[in-house]
Amino acid sequence: MRRFGLHCLLAAGVALALAGRVVAQNGWDADAARLEAAVAASPDDLRAGNDYRMAVIVAARTDRNLVKYDRAIAFFEKLVTDHPTAANAHLNYGFAYVDKIPAAGAITQVILANNALGAFTKSLDLRPSWIGLYTRGNSYLFWPRIFLRTKYGIADLEEALKMQNAEPKRPYHVRTYVSLGDGYWKMDDLPKAIATWKDGLAAFPDSAALRDRLAKQGDDLQKLIDDSYDPSKRVDTSLQDLWTNQ
Amino acid sequence: MRGLLAVAIAALGLALPGGIGAAADRWFEDITEKAGVAKPHRNRVFDNEYAKIMAGYTALGASASVADFNGDGFDDLFVTDSAADGRNHLYRNNKNLTFTDVAEAAGVAAGNDPSNATADALWFDYNNDGRPDLFVVRFGQSQLFENKGNGRFVEVTKASGLTRYANAITAIAFDYDRDGLLDLFVGCYFQPTNLFKPDTPRFFPENFETANNGGGLIAYRNNGNGTFADVTGKIGLRVSGWTLDLGHADADNDGWDDLYVAADFGTDRYFVNNANGTFTDKTEDAIGIDTKKGMNAEWGDYDNDGLLDIYVTNITSDYMREGNFLWHNNGKHTFTDVSRETNTYDTGWGWGGKFFDYDNDGWLDLYVMNGWVSAGPDSYVPDIFEMIIKPGIDLADARNWPPMGNKSLSGYEKKRLFHNEKGRAFSDHAARHGLDSTRDGRGVAVSDFDNDGRLDLFVANANGLPFLYRNVLPAGPHWAAFALQGTTSNRGAVGAQVRVTSGGRTQLRFVDGGNSFAGQSSARLHVGLGDAARLDRVEVRWPSGQKQTFENIPVDRMIRIVEGRAAFTALPAPTAATTSTTGAAAR
Repeated sequence: MRRFGLHCLLAAGVALALAGRVVAQNGWDADAARLEAAVAASPDDLRAGNDYRMAVIVAARTDRNLVKYDRAIAFFEKLVTDHPTAANAHLNYGFAYVDKIPAAGAITQVILANNALGAFTKSLDLRPSWIGLYTRGNSYLFWPRIFLRTKYGIADLEEALKMQNAEPKRPYHVRTYVSLGDGYWKMDDLPKAIATWKDGLAAFPDSAALRDRLAKQGDDLQKLIDDSYDPSKRVDTSLQDLWTNQ
Repeated sequence: MRGLLAVAIAALGLALPGGIGAAADRWFEDITEKAGVAKPHRNRVFDNEYAKIMAGYTALGASASVADFNGDGFDDLFVTDSAADGRNHLYRNNKNLTFTDVAEAAGVAAGNDPSNATADALWFDYNNDGRPDLFVVRFGQSQLFENKGNGRFVEVTKASGLTRYANAITAIAFDYDRDGLLDLFVGCYFQPTNLFKPDTPRFFPENFETANNGGGLIAYRNNGNGTFADVTGKIGLRVSGWTLDLGHADADNDGWDDLYVAADFGTDRYFVNNANGTFTDKTEDAIGIDTKKGMNAEWGDYDNDGLLDIYVTNITSDYMREGNFLWHNNGKHTFTDVSRETNTYDTGWGWGGKFFDYDNDGWLDLYVMNGWVSAGPDSYVPDIFEMIIKPGIDLADARNWPPMGNKSLSGYEKKRLFHNEKGRAFSDHAARHGLDSTRDGRGVAVSDFDNDGRLDLFVANANGLPFLYRNVLPAGPHWAAFALQGTTSNRGAVGAQVRVTSGGRTQLRFVDGGNSFAGQSSARLHVGLGDAARLDRVEVRWPSGQKQTFENIPVDRMIRIVEGRAAFTALPAPTAATTSTTGAAAR
């Protein structure tokens, strides 16, 4: 798992670095236009949309310009309007909202998260997928318990687990165990959370995330999980794993 | 000395809290009832078509303001109510930790009526006659009362020209142009709509993070003849946010006081005093653009580095993790938020917060009020978020906001007493000292009400009883207090800085003109000295720019210093009936 995590980071890092270099060399507007044209040419291409979003993150981080996130959101909004049946376009549309969350104020974060959920749902309605279920399920876990959405997250993640169990094992499947266990923990079902994390560790013995959870108790565990779902921290929405960890 | 004390205490098997050893665990005693100040604040209940919606957003107005209005050497209290038939209270200090409400006789009780609601109050000597006058901050028409010096006040609002209608929530006074007179700065929450009979439903914040349809602030320059002139735009202070608090201090030690504006629903503002009677908005460079819910602007040098830092409360909950700001002053009008590192980040839904040294260890501690509305078991959070996520919703329209009813919103939150761990971090000692009440705190006023060298606390709670906490810190740590009187400077010496050197360190205190939300603390400067039994040096920098330095000042005494006079007066020690002693300035 450590290797997987490192690989993930490297992959994401390379993607971000490349995107950053492109931005630095050519200026954002030109590069954004080029990346957007690539996505528009293949609206259902998950990877093209992902590359564009990663470039947006780098560019926005470089000059702290939130307008870039808004441009991406507007772009994907038009994309799904023009191509309403492109499930992966909806997925990227949802991620575009998520990408802006850490840079937004506390209330806007709620609006963005809610919009993201709508896009993920549309994608799943069009074409159920592991990434769609995992993404939406995990998104629900970011909502404070008072909004009563954790149960929906668990339902999605249980479905994602079923789906991945019917497929060849992929390194990224470990994420489902982590999140599903977290969901049970958020619902105060610690035994089920522990059982899920243990199942995950049996399948992915190198998972630091699972080991950490199983090693902690009480307030320490709470802190770990609270930190994992802190909306002010950037969620890694890079989908690079999907095609680099086959 | 301190080591011996620690050994002695340890031998007795007693607790050793942070900083100074103690013979008892709890250092504050609730004396609200026996002091005669147990009168509740009541929120305003509006009587209009938006009343059910407004009820949840106007749970404000509980405040406490300290001044020695009758000049008897003991601090008195003005405490507000907000109900339509509510009377404000002027608690005269009976010099024995009891108080008598003399508001009616003094002529300052009538702060509420169907068209006006009291929100805060400020003592300031508007006519520079040495007697603190009283400005009652209101939703509607605020009031200015002149202190006649015979226990009576006369309303001079109209004559003073302070007649601008505003939904004022806070006020401070300081001499921004250094002409020797206190100027008045009024922070306004709602825009100047008549909240009692609104002629439009669009008077709520247009959004939650960048709202610019609030009341902003009004700056009044003191003309020196009993009148004021509105100079808000002229001096560069035009803002349109939802102001909740104002705080002034000299951030860069250039002798000119700067201004922090804490704003709800949007960006706090930081204004640099240009030293020519104008200000420049330096928000972006100084603190950045935030989207939080600023509610408090308190200045104090928490790390004793000679620069005044700022504590701002925001909203921190599981549904909205904004976090408070502890702006560490880096110099040159730049600040870094160190609230996470110092453990002052999360207090809940924060309100007033005040720096003070409760254990006299020479480090400024911090007491923070928290909690919005504590009502029934159901939460209002889902209702408000359901509104927020409606596409295209017009938030400025009050009719779109859900009534709160009997639901709670960040209710039953504990107050926090942050003990300063030598300027590096803070630890919460509220529970230990019985200061962790869950009433909906708003303002805190700090004063040594019994002149015993230990700072006491008055806490104003919304829609509830207040608290008066007597500080019963065991004897041991030394202290000094300074009562300053300006001559060339304003008489109240607002803006004066005192640098006290003892035990190898220098502490900075300044006379603030009402900083911190819904609370005005004593104008006397209190300095804890720990185990340092002597003051090596005291430097006073007056608002006029004049500096005086004193040596051989006794500790554990109140010291009276008059601007330009070489001699100081040490008032009698609190526990001994000694006569005053005098000393002289070093240069």
